[in-house]
Amino acid sequence: MATEAANDAIAERNETDGVVKVDVLLKATGDVPIMKKKKWLIDANKTVLSVITFIKQYLKLDANEPLFLYVSQSFCPSPDHRIRNLYDCFAVDGRLIFYYSKTPAWG
Amino acid sequence: MAEDQQVLRMVWEARVPICFSLSPREISTMHQPDPYYLMLPRISYLPLVIDKVIKHFSNFVTEYKKQGTDLWIDFEGKPLKWHYPIGVLWDLFTNETTIPWNLTLHFENFPEDELIRFNNRALIESMFMSTIKEADALKHRSQVINAMLERDHNQLWMGLQNDKFDQFWSVNRKLMEHTNDELFRHIPFRVYEQNKSFIQRLIKPVLESGELATVKDLMNLIYPYSQDDTQSVTFVIHGIKLPLDAPLQWLSENMSYPDNFLHICAFAKSNS
Repeated sequence: MATEAANDAIAERNETDGVVKVDVLLKATGDVPIMKKKKWLIDANKTVLSVITFIKQYLKLDANEPLFLYVSQSFCPSPDHRIRNLYDCFAVDGRLIFYYSKTPAWG
Repeated sequence: MAEDQQVLRMVWEARVPICFSLSPREISTMHQPDPYYLMLPRISYLPLVIDKVIKHFSNFVTEYKKQGTDLWIDFEGKPLKWHYPIGVLWDLFTNETTIPWNLTLHFENFPEDELIRFNNRALIESMFMSTIKEADALKHRSQVINAMLERDHNQLWMGLQNDKFDQFWSVNRKLMEHTNDELFRHIPFRVYEQNKSFIQRLIKPVLESGELATVKDLMNLIYPYSQDDTQSVTFVIHGIKLPLDAPLQWLSENMSYPDNFLHICAFAKSNS
């Protein structure tokens, strides 16, 4: 419960001009380049697909190359999932952690 | 759960009547194709059940399109999402329209901005299994799904794909079980509104007061600004209007879709 309350507080604090931004941590797993910057503040209204596209661009990967994104080290969220949904359900200590990989990593 | 076996069966066996037509612009033959009528399972996904429809209409389009790599379906101009269960699409769009539901099949002009391509079964399988895993992350911190064998995972998918209730439920039972003093940690649910992306939040099956959380509590969570006025929204699942006092734990165990989520459509009640 404490974690959920903390998440709410952070989501509110980062609200400017009606855009809610949340803390996201992007971690590499398996044989994939590591991002220099891992912590990002992401618009909660964005989709999982837009995060995948962003990582590919940042790492200069081919747009057609597969990139898997995992939550809780257990599942790949649907590409049209909103970050807000995942943040509300799976953030730990006010931060949503994504693992990205070029090959299936879990499950 | 055993006493509600009948509910599980009714959810599994529910069908909706659909009439498919080919987009008139794509007909390349002199002869006009007949519409194709089907009763489709609410709990399934369009790409799993329309092979016959595609075959029927592929005779009327130009050769290079026949493979169906750009296939998509719309209802009154709105592209339908492959990865939503058929029952969710139906509940969202057919609110009080006439039956059968008239859908249009397209072999070209794929709406890239609105749809994700879902032209092979492996993709649907991985999406389906991922959603089950997400549900178990909410219910049991992924412990049940992770303890299962690859064979069990396959059985869930094959059970759905081949419309085999017993095959599916002999495994799914483990994902839906709870002991009396230990309910699910959270209830996996998604709320859909027309033309919007779905909403997913955390909700526990038990309130802080110790009482079971109900549909009304879920409504208050999703629509906090209408707290005094929950009657202004209606929640529908499997075509059924949900009673406000239905406990979420029971709903989750008995009325979830095979992907282990309660997919609920929300409608604003008219004031009349």
